[in-house]
Amino acid sequence: MTDFYQTGIITTLHQLGKPSLERLEGDLLRFSKVRPIALVLPALYSEFEGPAMPGIIQELAKVKYLNEIVLVLDQASEKDFQRARELMSPIPTEVNIIHNKGKRITEVYETLSRNGLDVGAQGKGRSAWLAYGYVLARGRSDVIALHDCDIVTYSRELLARLCYPVASPALDYVFCKGYYSRVTNKMNGRVTRLLMTPLVRSIQQLVGQHDFLSFLDSFRYPLAGEFCMTTEMARVNRIPWDWGLEVGSLAEVHRNYSPRRVCQVDIATTYEHKHQALSPDDAGKGLMKMAVDICKSIFRTLASEGVVFSDGLFKSLLVTYLRQAEDTLMKYEADATINGLDFDRHEEAKAVETFTKAIAMAAQTFMENPMSTPLIPNWNRVISAIPDIFEMLKMAVEEDSK
Amino acid sequence: MEDFINMILEPLKELFLKFKGFAPNLLAMLVILLVGIAFARIIKLVLVKFLTAIKFDSWSDRMGFTKLMRKGDLWAKPSAILGEIAFWLLIIITLMSGLNALQVPTINHLVGEFFSYIPRIFSAAMILIVGYVLSGFISRTVLIAAANNGFHYAKILAEAIHTLLIVLILSMVMEQLQIAPGIVLAAFSIVFGGIVIALAIAFGVGGIDAARRIIESEAISKREEETKDEIEHL
Repeated sequence: MTDFYQTGIITTLHQLGKPSLERLEGDLLRFSKVRPIALVLPALYSEFEGPAMPGIIQELAKVKYLNEIVLVLDQASEKDFQRARELMSPIPTEVNIIHNKGKRITEVYETLSRNGLDVGAQGKGRSAWLAYGYVLARGRSDVIALHDCDIVTYSRELLARLCYPVASPALDYVFCKGYYSRVTNKMNGRVTRLLMTPLVRSIQQLVGQHDFLSFLDSFRYPLAGEFCMTTEMARVNRIPWDWGLEVGSLAEVHRNYSPRRVCQVDIATTYEHKHQALSPDDAGKGLMKMAVDICKSIFRTLASEGVVFSDGLFKSLLVTYLRQAEDTLMKYEADATINGLDFDRHEEAKAVETFTKAIAMAAQTFMENPMSTPLIPNWNRVISAIPDIFEMLKMAVEEDSK
Repeated sequence: MEDFINMILEPLKELFLKFKGFAPNLLAMLVILLVGIAFARIIKLVLVKFLTAIKFDSWSDRMGFTKLMRKGDLWAKPSAILGEIAFWLLIIITLMSGLNALQVPTINHLVGEFFSYIPRIFSAAMILIVGYVLSGFISRTVLIAAANNGFHYAKILAEAIHTLLIVLILSMVMEQLQIAPGIVLAAFSIVFGGIVIALAIAFGVGGIDAARRIIESEAISKREEETKDEIEHL
């Protein structure tokens, strides 16, 4: 059982006692009459072939309160797309699948590109953005929930708890982020434990109290891929298309809304998904790439809020971070020991070294070009440039589904 | 025996002479076709490059032509589609010119009819393009005006006007192309007349009470004025 401590400047909704799933779902069914809920699933076809997606489909088949499900299918051929449609058929909720590599959706991307709207490279960020656009185009939902499709420990309680704070008319939240413990026989979630938290606290140590840093530090799992928000937020927020997706999204939430309307919710006691390799020698893939993108996103957001970055600051940051990370490492070692968990000190130290390298790389890239922004324009801007884009997107998805 | 051979050879000779007379025409047709296809390809290429250079696709996205194409399940670039249209128009013209070179009276007559039909196709295309732009402009104006005046069904009204204008434009296009003009005229009159009658009935039936109130209030005010006059005289 968890504690009830409120972390930082946002609201934390803990899992206290044993909340009834039936009650949660019953409430959500009532809420959905006033605030219809859409679920966005950014998926790769390979996830349908693994253990994750079949489990998710099985659970979603029991959910009654969802208004629509929008699945964005990536890295799939036409045959894979048809197969995915078949696999999603047991779900009673209306499911619309966006075939990201399909002829029509490719043309939608082409239309955006020729009108000067850079939607970036293929990835979760772009998929999520397109799905928001489709939900907005249909105009049938007021709340959008999103979770990854590689969760092997998925249960529908996760979805219910994620949707509840935003769907409930009594709770005035516009954004809710999920959190969970990433523990099996060892502690996972290296990027959050050993990069995000020590880095944020190191920058705080150097530049002093900062609203955005306090906001980031308030999240128990800022890199969690599960969140829920109002459709209004999906319309105004820009999202990054690289690995800075989670941090960049939080930056946009912080920029556009008060922290009092933001919460985090405990959505699962155990959470297990696809693991990434550390890849210390290749900044183009694995956790190394992820770490570089996250650092760049943090630097860029802080710079846009008036923080001055210089060579000296970055040099100090590397040293401060290393000290913070080493201290953190010792804390986790103690935590693992008392709980009888495996703890590979060497592997953890290697991760810290890799992340230090990533910070240095991100700092260099940032100093070379602080204006480089991988943010996808928000939907308001897109509609302003191409008034019929929603119609086109709807037609593309509907024609693909025929 | 010689007569018999002549009987066989004479028709063949005649056929050969006819072919000899026809061969230059056939050759001319083949040359026209080859040159025409090459020319059409070049025109297509130049046209697409030109349209890309002037950002026609982007303009088309904003003006709603791309949406119109997508509605017809055409998912290529607007410039590429125009290029294709130009290519196939030139191919048809080339084919007709080629057939004309054969100098066969029946084909010549058909080709003549086709060329006299071309101006109609162009004017129909112009009506369609200008009409579509105008209908979009008018429906947007109606939407803005109605929304600014607080009219609750502004969007529905704008869409209804857009649809009616499109029906009107399509009727004009079909009339221009001489495609069953009688039927088009009758169908259009029935549909448009029906809508007007439906609106008149809806307004009339819905406005019975309002009309009665207006007439009654008019009558009452008249009566009051007359009564006032009497009292003033007294």
